[in-house]
Amino acid sequence: MDGAAKRKLEVTLVTLLGMAVAFLMIFPIIWLCFSSFKPSSELFAYPLHLFPQNPDASSYAGVVEDGLFNYVKNSLFLAIVGTVITVVISAMCGYALAIYRKEITYVNKVFAVFLLGTLIPGEILTIAQFTVVSEMGLYNNIWGCILPVVTTTTGIFMYRQHYMSIPLELVESGRLDGASEFHIFRALMLPLGSSVTVTLTIFSFMWRWNDYILPLMVLSDQDNFTIQIAIKSYIGTMGVDWNSILAASILSIIPIIVIFIILQRYITGGLAASGVKG
Amino acid sequence: MKRKNQAFCHDRSFWMFVIPSLLLFGVFFLLPLGMSVWFSLTNYDGWKTMDFVGIKNYLDILTSGDFYKTLSRTIVYTVCNLPFKIAIPLLLAALVTSQSVKGTTIVRTLVYIPVLFSALVAGITINWMFGQEYGLVNFLLQKMGISPLEWSLNPVLATVVISVASNWISAGYYMLLYVGGINNISKELYEAASVDGAKKAQAFFQITLPLLMPTTFIVLLLSTVNLLKEYALVQGISLGGPGSSTTYIVQYIFDQGFNQSRYGYASAAGIVISILFIVIAMVQFKATKGGGEV
Repeated sequence: MDGAAKRKLEVTLVTLLGMAVAFLMIFPIIWLCFSSFKPSSELFAYPLHLFPQNPDASSYAGVVEDGLFNYVKNSLFLAIVGTVITVVISAMCGYALAIYRKEITYVNKVFAVFLLGTLIPGEILTIAQFTVVSEMGLYNNIWGCILPVVTTTTGIFMYRQHYMSIPLELVESGRLDGASEFHIFRALMLPLGSSVTVTLTIFSFMWRWNDYILPLMVLSDQDNFTIQIAIKSYIGTMGVDWNSILAASILSIIPIIVIFIILQRYITGGLAASGVKG
Repeated sequence: MKRKNQAFCHDRSFWMFVIPSLLLFGVFFLLPLGMSVWFSLTNYDGWKTMDFVGIKNYLDILTSGDFYKTLSRTIVYTVCNLPFKIAIPLLLAALVTSQSVKGTTIVRTLVYIPVLFSALVAGITINWMFGQEYGLVNFLLQKMGISPLEWSLNPVLATVVISVASNWISAGYYMLLYVGGINNISKELYEAASVDGAKKAQAFFQITLPLLMPTTFIVLLLSTVNLLKEYALVQGISLGGPGSSTTYIVQYIFDQGFNQSRYGYASAAGIVISILFIVIAMVQFKATKGGGEV
């Protein structure tokens, strides 16, 4: 075998391996999806088939009847409102921490306060957070799931890093033109941070859409459930309502996958560049 | 005089920009942090009772068999999973950066998709594959003439299913971190190695692996933290069972607090666990020179 043929064989084999790995990773989702179109008689009967023998959408009809659209609406509210607040306050805060670093001596002390947020996972503080939310009268209120989570040190950090790399002369020139500090931020500097804004928007939306612990604790009324809590409600102490949970799970991941496919280059690119974590 | 005025003006602008974040952070992070410390010194039941009991909760924790059992179970789960959390993403990254693979973008995309899922749905998805009676894995095992396994009744097997789900949902993310690390390695090193007659495997072990140490360290820290606080995933699979064999520390705190109405005790447990997390965060902070990279 000559070098070229050997090389070709290697490429074929390794490519096949890559495809096999990718298939293995994605297969549980394919299996979940096909299963969601099987009637109960097929879900719980041997032998199992990959494709539904009598595909039917009754599971989907069932979850829609259970109020799925309402849960999606609540999740969208949580995700969109939460993300808008996160982006606005993180941009303002990260920007200020970066551009006043020369003029104000205690900037880094303020930044250090936010870094405390990376020390302890929110899960550990959930009980006390829940008490605060209840005391504020936000129990069983979607705002009780939004306000505690909108401040993210990651977001503030991303903007701070970004604005550190922008020359301070730009701000100075704005000041010489007589623009107010807030106007400089909004009209001049915020557009310069759009790469961070896009990345943070996508990630924040995903975090909020997938939020679980706080909504589980805070929301008690079924009408206020988010999609994640609705999914959880199909897991009972006596067993799991598999028909409903399969359909609801598939529906819950569709928006996220659509966003991912459209904005993929921002997600994988922005992630590698900024090292975002949840 | 004018200078001073301007400086004051900047002070005010600075606070205007920072105050929304600071306020929310104060109310929903710093305040709960202080409250947790306070609760931990009381017998608060989440309702009316809240008497100061000193360090009783901490003494209870130190003498509670359940706490130790849960903590050691969590640590065993974490330690057993760490090798996979590093090896799988590393091999995936080596695969998708290999010159010998066509269509690496599609492989990367597909491997990354599970990262987008909520931990709950990821747990449910993997749980569905490992169903005891009508799960696909048991069906295939039977086809191969192996007797089906009791995925939900056997504590070890239940932990395996949770581990599979945990790795499945995180592999794509850590893979990307490794891809970034590999792309930063100079191609000339490999050329030099190949001139010296090094095999690909040799190059991987002697160039790639050592130069990826910083990335490996980050992956190690991130996965340690995430494994220690595993919770939502388990809720989609075993709910902590069978018995309490997959109940990890976060679930223990929630059970004690919300289900048993022992807010004080649960807060004290949280404070004890926080020390563990703070140590990890400090190591990370030192290693990345200011929390920079992650």
